[in-house]
Amino acid sequence: MTTTVGIRTSEGAVLAADKRASKGFFIGAKGVQKIFALDEKTAVAIAGQLSDAEYLVSLTKAERRLLALRRGYPLNVRETTKLLSSIIYSGMKSYNPFFVELVVAGVDKEGAHVYTNDMSGALTSEPFMSSGSGSPVAYGVLEQGYRADMTLDEAKKLGEAAVRAAMERDPGSGNGVDVLALPNGLHTGVN
Amino acid sequence: MPFFYNTDGRLIQVDSALQAVSRGSTTIGLKTKEFAVLSSQVRPTRALLDAAEKIFVVDDHLGATGSGYIGDVNTLVDEVRVAAQRHRLVYDTPIDVTTLSRGLSQFLHAFTMHPVRPFGASVILAGADELGVHLVQVDPSGTTFRGQGFAIGKDADPALEAISQGYRPDLTVEEALALMTRAIEGANGGKSQIEHGVVRLATRKFERLPLAT
Repeated sequence: MTTTVGIRTSEGAVLAADKRASKGFFIGAKGVQKIFALDEKTAVAIAGQLSDAEYLVSLTKAERRLLALRRGYPLNVRETTKLLSSIIYSGMKSYNPFFVELVVAGVDKEGAHVYTNDMSGALTSEPFMSSGSGSPVAYGVLEQGYRADMTLDEAKKLGEAAVRAAMERDPGSGNGVDVLALPNGLHTGVN
Repeated sequence: MPFFYNTDGRLIQVDSALQAVSRGSTTIGLKTKEFAVLSSQVRPTRALLDAAEKIFVVDDHLGATGSGYIGDVNTLVDEVRVAAQRHRLVYDTPIDVTTLSRGLSQFLHAFTMHPVRPFGASVILAGADELGVHLVQVDPSGTTFRGQGFAIGKDADPALEAISQGYRPDLTVEEALALMTRAIEGANGGKSQIEHGVVRLATRKFERLPLAT
């Protein structure tokens, strides 16, 4: 269930997600937060089993904190997503998979990034990505609306439009949209 | 019980391990903002013997050398090599020197907490990462030192004296290597076989230099 969207532009990154939590064919909750900040400049949009996803977010926060304290500078977006995929992959290989598909977005020294982590631990990156049951509909909007030279504001509007379109046709998505924009330049020093 | 604190509050095993280090071959490290060099005397102890490898590549951007029981040095180098690759596996980036030296320090420290033999070796790590060039010495107790220059092994004190006399923050790599050679040969009183390793900030590559004879 769920629809999440991530968009990368030259000005920053955007995440968008709906707010519905499904219990089979029943709407379990109508105001669920699906976008979580890992720090001021990295965030993740979650789809799949809510408990698995929330645990992964907490675990990743803890691991990032420990490494950043030890070495004296924070993780960049690539390191964060690779850490997530390492945890997810080891879960799958020990017959205890995390039932999640995560869209990670962030800005660092190199600029804006968007990655998708699936439940096998596979890591992919494209200018715009979507996950959840509504993603086929959202991708239709994104394919039509995305341009390489978008502003951050245009990306916010496109992300919201993609999720809203999915909410119209996907019964697993609905009850409103959350949007998060991460403009470039939030990093300080290394990463 | 020689494994625990004596009445003076000292760990005899750790003191003995440090003594074993000071019986090892002369080994020094030096760094500036731009590079770090490691040098170790490789002295064949008898005729017909090949010189032992004393400068170790840990990863692309990291090198190590050590003094003490060479078997212990080798084990510690294997330990940090595995830690470096494990970091690449999890984070897909080269490990930073601080994390690596902390891991080595924890590994060594564990051997001071149990009735076992601590490692009879000190290691000097040199590497370049996001924060710059690092030079770190780790002792058998797990104690970590960071700084511009270190000397361990036999005649460590006169060798350290020599590099601190010749040290300038604007040394070139060539000048540094000459200084290292002078320091080791001066401390040992004569010409000897020395192996070097260099890591530069500009390239973030550690390279072993061919044995200077």
